[in-house]
Amino acid sequence: MATVQIRGVTKRYGGVQVMHGVDVDIEDGEFVVLVGPSGYGKSTLLRMIAGLEEVSGGTISIGGRVVNDMLPKERDIAMVFQSYALYPHKTVAQNMGFPLLMQKRPKAEIEEKVRKAAEILDLTKYLDRYPRQLSGGQRQRVAMGRAIVRDPQVFLFDEPLSNLDAKLRVSMRVEIKELHQRLRTTTVYVTHDQIEAMTMAHKIVVMRDGRVEQIGRPLDLYDRPANLFVAGFIGSPAMNFLEGRLATRDGRRVVETADGTALPLEGAAAEDGRRVTYGIRPEHISVGEGGIPVKVSVFEPTGSETLIFGRLGGQLIDALVRDRIEGEPGQTLPFRIDPRRAHLFDTATGVRL
Amino acid sequence: MRSRKTPWLSVALWSLLSFVTLFPIYWMFVISMKAPVELFSTPDILLRSLDWSNYVEVLESPTLRGYMVNSLVISSGNAVLVTALGFLACYALTRYDLPGKESIFFWTITNRMAPPAVFLLPLFLLLTQVYRIGDFSLLDTRIGMILVYCTFNLPFAIWTLRPTLDAIPKELDEAALVDGASAWRVIWDVILPLARPGLAVTLILTWVFAWNEYLLAATLTNFTARTLTTGLSEYVTTTGTAWGIMAAISVFTLIPALIVFSLVQRHIVTGLTFGAVKG
Repeated sequence: MATVQIRGVTKRYGGVQVMHGVDVDIEDGEFVVLVGPSGYGKSTLLRMIAGLEEVSGGTISIGGRVVNDMLPKERDIAMVFQSYALYPHKTVAQNMGFPLLMQKRPKAEIEEKVRKAAEILDLTKYLDRYPRQLSGGQRQRVAMGRAIVRDPQVFLFDEPLSNLDAKLRVSMRVEIKELHQRLRTTTVYVTHDQIEAMTMAHKIVVMRDGRVEQIGRPLDLYDRPANLFVAGFIGSPAMNFLEGRLATRDGRRVVETADGTALPLEGAAAEDGRRVTYGIRPEHISVGEGGIPVKVSVFEPTGSETLIFGRLGGQLIDALVRDRIEGEPGQTLPFRIDPRRAHLFDTATGVRL
Repeated sequence: MRSRKTPWLSVALWSLLSFVTLFPIYWMFVISMKAPVELFSTPDILLRSLDWSNYVEVLESPTLRGYMVNSLVISSGNAVLVTALGFLACYALTRYDLPGKESIFFWTITNRMAPPAVFLLPLFLLLTQVYRIGDFSLLDTRIGMILVYCTFNLPFAIWTLRPTLDAIPKELDEAALVDGASAWRVIWDVILPLARPGLAVTLILTWVFAWNEYLLAATLTNFTARTLTTGLSEYVTTTGTAWGIMAAISVFTLIPALIVFSLVQRHIVTGLTFGAVKG
């Protein structure tokens, strides 16, 4: 186990800069998730930690050692790839034992460690099979087995579940989390799935365009997103954004939309008249007496909850309620917004106010 | 359920093609088993008796034995060399961001676009004048012919091997590097086994090219490095053509090709990379 420090890391491809001074501190034994939409630099950062991409500027340290110029094999890391990257001509046992073979460990030790890893991952009966003879989930477990046999300082996961179907993804997510709880190895995990990030991470790093947008614990990001991007990315369904201006009505601060609707606020520090974006998560809206009238366009009942889509003064808004509400498109429902749960962002900069 | 009918048309077509392909070989064998007198008496496509005299003459001739050894050494040496070099070149072309690599790749094959005769004079000058140390030149040497065939076989090997190496996911290289392998171990332990079908095809095709080649061998060898194909022409003389011996030599040229093919054909299997990545 080890700490990982990323200090002012930049990445250039020719004249194009794709990463702009990224700083991340990862504690010993921590499970950190790099999350963001595809193509925003999170996999590049992971590959730089692994040594598969050169670092253009800044430093990456593992266990206190700057590893910028070290080969991947010298960094004491193990990586699980999105495509599994299993060696197709080797059996499961040979795949898992390969890192130890490269370290020239004795055969008996390799067999013992492979056996133990296979027990942990429930792969014992598949040790003599080839990757092509395994299911997607089993292949992913072999890839994890290959990573854990060498007992590295850091695990790196590059979107390991994105090739699995939804059901298998949930069970593998639990397996990876259990594995981390058991091994306590420092882990850096890349995903574009914010649910994976929220459910697995000790700490989430939200990335966009090669920059860190926010770092924090999952619920901190959910409760206090630093900007519109994080607010819109974290949480499912996504947060509602309604544009308006700050105003005071009857001595209470509100956000006034273009059609004159007053959205309730609690303690906004900015001046009246300022253009702002009002954020409210669908699950923080209820339907009941005294709410803002919203013309509903679609009802989506899922059994346990109902997602209601509508328009408020021409702007889209949706509510997620636990009650079973049945209605007709076109009808008007009162949406009650909890002002303590509202978020306020500067429309021009996107920064939280 | 539809009943399975015998596809008579396909059977007939394949039978015809097989006959057209195999008949000349059969006829060559028939001719090689006949004495000269019998050969010119009554034309007969049936093998009525076994006369091994042509084979005995070929095997007892130290000159022809030498030609056969030359052919084997030159073809095998060239095939191994171009396959190894082609593999490494393709590995670099498919794995690294080399400036202008597509141009490099395209221009390599231009060697095969011109007729071999165009290269005769430059190659002759190269072997006799450029690669010359004192009295030693590469003309009429086995190593000289191995290098000459590289001119044509190396581009071919690179083009044949590229799809094979392109099909091997780069994540496998990266996984091996992270697993602690050096660059050479990545090639040896991961890439080479997966490229085996492509390597086998390349090996056999380049071997066959060198084995069958006549023009360059006839021009750039005299006696020391002379090959079987050029040896054949020695039996077409002003006093006549020794058809029986030529047929026997031809059968001898066929046998090693069949052996080489049978040795490598088991490696010519596809789908070895299945299961490497998602799927």
